Amino acid sequence: MLSNHGGPRPPLAIAWLRGLIRRRSGRLAATAIGVALAVGLLASIGAFLSASKATMTSRAIATVAVDWQVEAQNGSDPATMARRVAATPHVVATEPVQFATTTGFQFDGASTVQTTGAGHVLGISNTYRKTFPDQIRTLAGTPNGILLFQQTAANLQARPGSTITVNRAGLEPVKVTVAGIVDIPQADSLFQTVGAPIGAVAQAPPDNVLIVPTATWHRLFDPLAAKRPDLLHTQVHARLDHALPRDPAAAYNTTTGQARNLEVKLAGTGLVGDNIGATLSGARSDALYAQILFLFLGVPGAVLAGLLTATVAGSGRDRRRREQALLRTRGATTRQLTQLGITEAALVGVVGSALGLGLAYVVGRLAFRTTRFGATTGAAIVWSASAAAAGLLIAIASIAVPAWRDGRDTTVATARLTVGRAGNPRWMRWFLDVALLATAVTVFWLTSRNGYKLILAVEGVPTISVSYWAFAGPALLWIGAGLLAYRLTNTLLHRGRPVLAASLRPLAGGLSDTVAASLKRQRRLLARGAALVALTIGFAASTAIFNSTYHQQAEADAVLTNGADVTATISPGATITPTSQVARRIAATPGVRHVEALQHRYAYVGADLQDLYGIDTATIVKAGRLQNAYFQGGTAPQLMATLAAKPDSILVSAETVHDFQLLPGDAITLRLQNGKTKQYANVRFHYVGVAKEFPTAPRDSFLLANASYIAQQTGTDTNGSFLIDTGGHNIASIAHQVSIQVGTTATVTDLASSRKVIGSSLTAVDLAGLTRVELGFALALAAAATGLTLWLGLVERRRTFAIAAALGANPRQLGAFVWAEAGIVTTAGIAAGTATAWALSNMLVKVLQGVFDPPPSALAVPWSYLIVLGAVSIAATAIAAVIALANARRPHIELLRSI
Amino acid sequence: MSSTILAHATGVARTFGTGSAAIVAVHDVDCSIRPGDRIALMGPSGSGKTTLLHLLAGLDQPTAGIVEWPDIGSIGDLRPGPVAVVFQAPSLLPPLDVIENVALPLLLAGADRQDATARALEALTRLGLDNLKAKLPEELSGGQAQRVAIARVLADRPKLILADEPTGQLDHRSGAAVIDALIAAAIHTGAALVVNTHDPAVAKRLNIRWSMANGTLIVSEPLPC
Repeated sequence: MLSNHGGPRPPLAIAWLRGLIRRRSGRLAATAIGVALAVGLLASIGAFLSASKATMTSRAIATVAVDWQVEAQNGSDPATMARRVAATPHVVATEPVQFATTTGFQFDGASTVQTTGAGHVLGISNTYRKTFPDQIRTLAGTPNGILLFQQTAANLQARPGSTITVNRAGLEPVKVTVAGIVDIPQADSLFQTVGAPIGAVAQAPPDNVLIVPTATWHRLFDPLAAKRPDLLHTQVHARLDHALPRDPAAAYNTTTGQARNLEVKLAGTGLVGDNIGATLSGARSDALYAQILFLFLGVPGAVLAGLLTATVAGSGRDRRRREQALLRTRGATTRQLTQLGITEAALVGVVGSALGLGLAYVVGRLAFRTTRFGATTGAAIVWSASAAAAGLLIAIASIAVPAWRDGRDTTVATARLTVGRAGNPRWMRWFLDVALLATAVTVFWLTSRNGYKLILAVEGVPTISVSYWAFAGPALLWIGAGLLAYRLTNTLLHRGRPVLAASLRPLAGGLSDTVAASLKRQRRLLARGAALVALTIGFAASTAIFNSTYHQQAEADAVLTNGADVTATISPGATITPTSQVARRIAATPGVRHVEALQHRYAYVGADLQDLYGIDTATIVKAGRLQNAYFQGGTAPQLMATLAAKPDSILVSAETVHDFQLLPGDAITLRLQNGKTKQYANVRFHYVGVAKEFPTAPRDSFLLANASYIAQQTGTDTNGSFLIDTGGHNIASIAHQVSIQVGTTATVTDLASSRKVIGSSLTAVDLAGLTRVELGFALALAAAATGLTLWLGLVERRRTFAIAAALGANPRQLGAFVWAEAGIVTTAGIAAGTATAWALSNMLVKVLQGVFDPPPSALAVPWSYLIVLGAVSIAATAIAAVIALANARRPHIELLRSI
Repeated sequence: MSSTILAHATGVARTFGTGSAAIVAVHDVDCSIRPGDRIALMGPSGSGKTTLLHLLAGLDQPTAGIVEWPDIGSIGDLRPGPVAVVFQAPSLLPPLDVIENVALPLLLAGADRQDATARALEALTRLGLDNLKAKLPEELSGGQAQRVAIARVLADRPKLILADEPTGQLDHRSGAAVIDALIAAAIHTGAALVVNTHDPAVAKRLNIRWSMANGTLIVSEPLPC
């Protein structure tokens, strides 16, 4: 069978493979399944990234009302610029928009005259709203004609049909009749300063806006062009072809490149306000976070699958060594043995990779509704090829490399050894585990300090940087914890034999010392098993905890942003009290469980103008779903109790405490507007605690005080908003009903919309699919790490059990050996894995702080999944042990005859 | 010759497989083993020697006929204790050292640990193997491992020792030492001894010859030892 020239003739390789398939089909299949799990997980992650990146791109694009706002520069001809913009490739529609600054608006009501400060009048064509349907939303009246911004309408107390006066600088005021009341959802973008330097402070959108048809605008403001051209300007709003790359970063580069290209063509006559670029800039950070999540959550799973494959392949190592020893005694060289190993590895790698890609295809279809393994065709090819290459690599590392090493380093005599005088591995003598854990803690400390940014994506800069260094902390912790689990198990089995024997007595009776001795001699094998279980449980549990915390915080973020299931924010100028008719109508809306009235005022703290919220401390904790993390120095109920203790108590932001060097009990004097006199007056409070977050409040600085005290001091109990609890049911329809009830007096938002809108962070990425896939794979890995490896190990030693049975061991005595082994591996593995998961989850959440907004006060522990994980691990172990014992009950004659 | 019978086979047959693929390993065998018997079971490879030995040891069940152990009891009473088997292939448990291996059948029988260890050490000393007591099986030569397996039998003080080609993987010298140990163990315990062997030199050391050919047993008269 063997040639004299060193290489195996084809028949040997074929005969070897045939023999493996016929005689070792179980182990071959198990090894191929390990490879398939690794390939499947990697390719599934590719599918997840593909789906999530495409989602982020399309969702980001969908939120943009106007892609570009091209503003004509002084002296240029707007019509020429408009033609050039329209002729630009990828621009599919354009609309000119005129802007004029007015000195204010006025409405003469029946009994009062309401006036506003300076405002803006926009001129749009009658096709504008069709071209850009998301820019303007009709709240009342007709969609065409003279449209008044909701806030302006509230300030003027005007409604459709009202005739208002438009004041013009240096010209006579003119009167127009309001046809409709509208909302401008993206007023920030619409009134942006085009061409403002990057990093410039964003301007607040104007409160007073009137939208008129183009012809009307020209009639009103053409006379102003000669006198005050500085008050007028023209923009061309453009919609782009949205056939963009699926990857947000690539889409960003495409659109910003097109914008720069247009500016070059306009040669200074126009500047591009690149709204779509700005949005995609945020999305590319999200995409990178998604990639990071893959690194943190996906790679360990693939590594585990690789380790598992190596363990499965390694469980047959003794047998393979003996077979190799036989081949070598018949003249086989190391090269020939290695080639046989490569042949086996190739078979396992190819079959496993094909299975894995098939698995990922199915998983992608079911979980992510995509069958692509990458955001682009190129990426899909790279992902598929990389995943398959990883599978082949795992197979080679698990099968061919050990075969080569055994062939090179192992003598025929030592190849027959099955236990050996187990010396400690080199890494244990070098304390590699301790070093890794110490490095992990150091890296974690360095990367979790304040101000550390995991991702740096500067707007306007095409490249984004990621601190991959931060990954080292959790990665080293995971590896170090696995090695430490090995060390501890190894030490327990080596040094703790008397303790072990005593603890095994209930199980093994008089055999307990013999069983303990057996465990001690096999400690390397058992410690390896325990480490693998620890790594698997650590991976599965920390992934589950991370995902659960992520979902908890995504929900908290939405609640924090929106305030409640449905929130009605009173328009400035409107006066709604808790007892007003509007409030009663909201409360009476079907499906509304509870309505929490929230006062919202502005108060001067020194020279700072801050948001002040007047709350009912008895009901706000539940109604506002207040979390302990929102407060400093106590839980939410404790801080509310502190606030309620004295009427003039106030909670302030940490920033304010720092700025004003406040100590608990200090008096603070705020300047608040009196509801009747409209004059600002001093109101005295006492500082009692710190609030970090509050529903609907800005993040930097705000104040919380007792609503009754504010009402008493300002002479009005008018509300800022109503937090409406629907019990989480029919949110959208109840929001719609409430919006009908409140009319133009309030803006109604709901939680479902907020979940979609808060897309600046990773909450835009739907992790549900990834979670299902990861947790599913983790369960499979846990079952394999416990049950499969134990079963294969027992199968490889079934001759030992056959001898024990032939010596007279009864099933209970055989069971003592098997259950002790299974118990040690599972108990040590699960204990070490739980500790690892706890440490890893805390570290992951801290390192990935950027993902969480607000940061969690505590990890969300998915107990049901963890219980299932533990149950699967224990059940897999038990099933493996029971099967092995059932096989060992009768001595197998053929095993007793074999060498 | 004693009137008590340790093992008795009547019309015993063992067939592996079914139909056209069936192989008849042992066919219509009648035999008895009495205390003090020293039996050499001889025959060419594939003649059914090992199968018969396994049937007599209660490790396998006949497909026809009956195997009984009148002086011992039922099949469940054979091990650990009354019937001990020495296998051709290595039969020491790899994770246990020599003394633990020797003591194992005693512990399986419910002996106290200290007592089992003392008896194991005594058996090893009797066979001159006490210097190997802390060794692992993989650290022993083939001959040493077989002698330790015999020490395990000795410590168990059986009534019947069945050895399946115990020298089959050994050189002549090691094989002779193993047979010496087996006979010494049988003498010390008073057990009957059945040795399955190809080797005429081994067979000469035993006073009864059984020959097997094609699954059929030919029993000879006892020779003077």
